[in-house]
Amino acid sequence: MKKINKINKVRVIVASIVLMFSIKSNAQIVKAEIRATGLTCSMCSNAINKQLKTLPEVVNVETDLNTNTFTVTLTEGNTLSPKVFKEKVEKAGFFIGTLVLTAKPETITQSTYILVNNNTANGTEIQFQVVDKGYVTEKEFKKLSKSYKNVETYASNNEDDFHIKILN
Amino acid sequence: MLFKNQVKYFTALLILVALSMNAQIKVGDTIPSITLKSNSNSDVNTSSFKGKYVLVDFWASWCAPCRLGNKKLVKLHNEVSPDKIEIIGISIDTDINKWLKAIEKDKIKFTQLIDPKGFDANAALVFGVDELPSKYLFNPEGVLIAKNPTEEEIMKLIKE
Repeated sequence: MKKINKINKVRVIVASIVLMFSIKSNAQIVKAEIRATGLTCSMCSNAINKQLKTLPEVVNVETDLNTNTFTVTLTEGNTLSPKVFKEKVEKAGFFIGTLVLTAKPETITQSTYILVNNNTANGTEIQFQVVDKGYVTEKEFKKLSKSYKNVETYASNNEDDFHIKILN
Repeated sequence: MLFKNQVKYFTALLILVALSMNAQIKVGDTIPSITLKSNSNSDVNTSSFKGKYVLVDFWASWCAPCRLGNKKLVKLHNEVSPDKIEIIGISIDTDINKWLKAIEKDKIKFTQLIDPKGFDANAALVFGVDELPSKYLFNPEGVLIAKNPTEEEIMKLIKE
């Protein structure tokens, strides 16, 4: 009897842990697609790849030579912020041209994310682009500043706020 | 026991990988001996050209600056006697057909080899290639005398 109780206790603990993690994992970035820009050909350098691979949360980095995109797959349950991709790309000597993230739907309910469009995705994963300064080209940022002049927070360029455009 | 051996093997492998990752050849180093397939499907060893200058050029068909560089190398190849310098292009293209097409398009007649694994290619790791194009000039004794020399610098160096 005692043994059964013990097993049940263990079960409860395991179940809570699983639940904890499953809640946490509903708010995470699953994949990042980065297009880098700079003075030289970004795909001709191994630097971005190397920088991204220094992150323990990075499972895999694939490069698409036709679209000049780095596709980064991330570990389950990671708590990475979009900021980390910008930092790594810049450390490699390049800039972000576009950053498209695939994430669990609850990710964007976090207060750091501010939606700039009304598209509401109903899938198991959402895809969105970060449109802040430093996450788009300079030219694009100027253009977007005009489009989003009604979004008060957009112009303030707060480093820890991410203005996002849902794509799916 | 078997497990112990596996651990040993794995450790050795890790050390090897770590070593090969850090190994970046420096001026004064000897040309690495790497055997790769050529565009005429023969095996060529990078260290088999001692007695003349050897220029190793890492490139890929999708690398625009490399393709511009190819033009200059073709010119150099036409201007300098093949007894004086051996030009070896090593592509890290993963698509062999794209590589072959690029060779044809750029009218390359000098030695062309391929290690089709991108920046993870063994040849790229051994030479320490972190960006494309990357050039290495070795003297007739097989010693590295310049990294990324321009065509003018190459001409000057091999005339000395």
